[in-house]
Amino acid sequence: MTRVDRRTFLKGVGVLSAATAATAVFPTVVLPANVALPRENQAGPVWKRAPCRLCGVGCGLLVGIESGRAVAVKGDPDSPVSKGLACVKGYNSVQALNGSDRIRRAMVRRDGVLVEVPLSEALDLVARKLRETAQQHGKDSVAIYGSAQWTIPDAYVASKLFKGALGTNNIETSTRLYGASAMTGLLSSFGLDGAIGCYEDVDHADVFVLWDTNLAETDPVLFSRMLDRKRANAAVRIIDVTTRTTRTSYASDHSLLHVPHTGPVIANGICYEIIARKWVHHEFVDQHVAFKRGRTGLGDGLADDALVTDEAGDATWDEYVAFLADYEPARAQEVSGLPAASIRWLASIYGDPLRKVMSVWGKDVNQDVRGTWMNNLLYNIHLLVGKVASPGNSPFCTTGQPRGGSAVHDAGTLTQTLPRGVVQNEEDRRRAADIWGVPLERIDPKPAAPALGMFRRLERGDIRFLWILATDPMVSLPNLDRYRRAATHEDRFIVVSEAYPTPTTDVADVVLPAAMWLEREGIYANDERRVQYFDRLLAPPGDATSDAWQMIEVARRLGFETLFPYDPRRHVEQIWEEYGRFHAEPPSALPPIAELRAQPGVQWPYVAGRETRWRYNPAQDPAADAARGTFDFYGHPDHRAWIWLRPYEPPAESPDRAYPFWLTTGAVLEHWGAGSMTQRIEILHRALPHSYVELNHDDARDLGIRNRETVRLVSRRGSLELEARIDYRSQPPHGQVFVPSFDEARLVNRLTLDACCPLSGQPDAGKCAVRVERLPARSGA
Amino acid sequence: MSSHERHSSGLALRLYLIASGVTAVAAVGVAVRRSPAGREPPPAPLAVQLVAAPGEPIRAEAQVFRTTPAMLAIEPKARRERSAHPRTLSTVRFLRAYPGAPPRIPHPLTADEFRTDACKTCHERGGFSLRFSAYVPLTPHPERGICLQCHVGVDSVIGAAVPDPNPNARCPQCHGPSGGTPRPEARVTWPTTAWPQLPRLTPDRDPPPIPHDLQFRENCLTCHAGPAAVLEIRTTHPERANCRQCHVRLDPAAGNFTRPVNDVAVGAGDAP
Repeated sequence: MTRVDRRTFLKGVGVLSAATAATAVFPTVVLPANVALPRENQAGPVWKRAPCRLCGVGCGLLVGIESGRAVAVKGDPDSPVSKGLACVKGYNSVQALNGSDRIRRAMVRRDGVLVEVPLSEALDLVARKLRETAQQHGKDSVAIYGSAQWTIPDAYVASKLFKGALGTNNIETSTRLYGASAMTGLLSSFGLDGAIGCYEDVDHADVFVLWDTNLAETDPVLFSRMLDRKRANAAVRIIDVTTRTTRTSYASDHSLLHVPHTGPVIANGICYEIIARKWVHHEFVDQHVAFKRGRTGLGDGLADDALVTDEAGDATWDEYVAFLADYEPARAQEVSGLPAASIRWLASIYGDPLRKVMSVWGKDVNQDVRGTWMNNLLYNIHLLVGKVASPGNSPFCTTGQPRGGSAVHDAGTLTQTLPRGVVQNEEDRRRAADIWGVPLERIDPKPAAPALGMFRRLERGDIRFLWILATDPMVSLPNLDRYRRAATHEDRFIVVSEAYPTPTTDVADVVLPAAMWLEREGIYANDERRVQYFDRLLAPPGDATSDAWQMIEVARRLGFETLFPYDPRRHVEQIWEEYGRFHAEPPSALPPIAELRAQPGVQWPYVAGRETRWRYNPAQDPAADAARGTFDFYGHPDHRAWIWLRPYEPPAESPDRAYPFWLTTGAVLEHWGAGSMTQRIEILHRALPHSYVELNHDDARDLGIRNRETVRLVSRRGSLELEARIDYRSQPPHGQVFVPSFDEARLVNRLTLDACCPLSGQPDAGKCAVRVERLPARSGA
Repeated sequence: MSSHERHSSGLALRLYLIASGVTAVAAVGVAVRRSPAGREPPPAPLAVQLVAAPGEPIRAEAQVFRTTPAMLAIEPKARRERSAHPRTLSTVRFLRAYPGAPPRIPHPLTADEFRTDACKTCHERGGFSLRFSAYVPLTPHPERGICLQCHVGVDSVIGAAVPDPNPNARCPQCHGPSGGTPRPEARVTWPTTAWPQLPRLTPDRDPPPIPHDLQFRENCLTCHAGPAAVLEIRTTHPERANCRQCHVRLDPAAGNFTRPVNDVAVGAGDAP
């Protein structure tokens, strides 16, 4: 540090006015050049806008950059999402870049050990292995598994490389694990993906009904916005419909406990009551709603790889009423454990024409063998009473991922999707082939398998080359031991692009060093269709590069230079322009990159300089036709939203005599996803250094388990030792235990079941049956 | 400015309690020491030093707390000693990852407090906490909903069924089992930006500008006045409650305002 000696200072003082003299000790003042100041007195950090990436809310952050480092964070007051607030993850997010074990060089496994090699050598090897595998075993023997955290350019390049260049639909992302049912739910109910409403609904709603979502920990800033709304208007109510008592429950006005997986019974019970009490908005229903019956008995996805296609059959109002007869609230109580009076009360709130209702749900609803159905059923409630697509009346799904759920169609990174539309549709294929400049036949019209199916194909040897980027499936896949064995099988070649060593890099043959958020340019959307841009603000460490650029380099080595003619410095802009050609029409029109750079996020559809808050509402949505009335649900050809007759079907596994407890898993405030970033943030790691199992107070007493004692959880798949916590941050009801899923040293997914929703392919990874065992007393324990 | 003289004076320190709106006044001596100009500033505490020694009554504060007998977790008569562990700038820095970061929670939480976000029971109203033998710092943003969303503690001291009656129970959290300076592993080692510098307080100086961001910290008095205020940044004149009348936040991007004498671009065709 330079020090101001007295002479220099006095010399400077001579030219200063009295006023500026007072400011000489402050960091933000311009001083005459002949006064040398200590470094601390020079201008502080330069603040740059960047959206937080550590959940799906997409808060606006200002990151302080100084001497080439990200040194501080504050909330962006201009962000319409967060209005200056952040949560502890966001405030500490930049420290995730600085872990001492950051991967800086490419590595190749030799004699079982990963050794550093030059990046170009590793990329050559990846390209060679990819080409050889495809030549020997066919194009469908190579696959790519990307991330819900991918930026849109990353995802777009992956889609173009695998679907357009290599001609295989073996492309999946961890989005499948978090938001696939949200997508199929929207597609079946409204015909189009992408949220209907937006966060601004929070500022208008009178009642919030939270369905199985611990928003206070998973989407804290969104939940704070609800609390702000409640503070501004004392009549506002927050109702927490949940399977365990959480921080959200304590902050809510009412908390209603029910048995896991029984949401469909409650939702149908509410609809029964709405009809019985004549609270239906008949004008809305007659004009804008159609009734549909789908396939039933779909199974639990344990045996099948592929997605099941639903068949929509017409139903009538009378058939719908008859269908609901099974869900009279008293009968719904028997299955769900939620008192009939509570179901009737919920119905009275949805049915009250004077109150605007926002329903919010997330991963716990979506991660279910009937996740798609439950999404449909929640839309049903809102459609029956006409509370949709207008300010404050909003069925809204959060998915906890920067570009999961509502934005899942971005860039077509699921096996069945294209940057717009699906591979089964010839028009969509033709559009993609035209824009990409590849022959139409190159794009395979048959989807491959969703995430779990992809790993099952890896297990069987149908897939022999797998490139995993920016995600940690060896932590996040259910029934983990099975898929870990699949990945470590001889004759499988696994490439992993990562920023830190993880359980997934443990199974890698090649590791590529990944540039993180702020170290590369990027664009992604949040849960409310808001597309946000961040610039490259820092130099990535060592050889680290963005996932997009790694894939472009490999594509060029495979001979696809002409398909990937991007400039290293301008590729994000070029890709965004190319991607924008897929979404040129009003229903999904995207903003130009200049607009993204200038604003803290822009909501699509973006037409003629206007963003869209509420879709299907002609007052807002340029694609909606005002001639059709107050709403135009143009997603379906009949311009109607569909109410689906979705029954209750039992879960894939429920507690029994041998495994008497429900295990539910989920997120905690301090950590995100598989924890590879947040565990490296000192404050967060010290706040919650490891996972634990939360037990009900009475269950623990009956089992003789004391707080912080180590216990063993056993499921049909495996066992796991964890520290018991009783009456800790949440309280499971009798017969239930809860384990956070972030901890790679205590992999709760070794216990969970790899069933999935057959329509969405989203694994039912958040719950299964377990038993709890006390450990025999050990010496020194 | 170049003077080396020692300058001491007694100033009246008024205390202003926001929660109750009660202002109580007492004369508390303040010694202001001027540092040699241009030299490295002396180590903190810099300028303001309370005359009241630990254990001595602060009459003003006793007055204040007599009016609020119903305060939860607070001894109504207020133990008239200073906090067992007065907060200083070094503790402030120790608890923050970077200047402006939300501070960590430095004390144990019971499981109930942790689950129900009970922080504001004490931190909205202030007062003396018997449990921690300390005056309770106030939050500058009591309107925020969930405290634990931004402020986190340390896992090892969370979850006791009842508060630990030992007021020293939290010491090892920073100082380790054997005491001494805070353990290195408890420190935030992350390289960050410089802390704002303290103004050198002298009577003949203009009011110093505000050296830090005001986001979520717009209520100056919560941190700069009252018995729990950090010693080095405690204002001498809390009764002048409109702080930003004299103290302003400077725009870091703004240079000095000047204008050329012969500005041809402006007014060029406007002359009559």
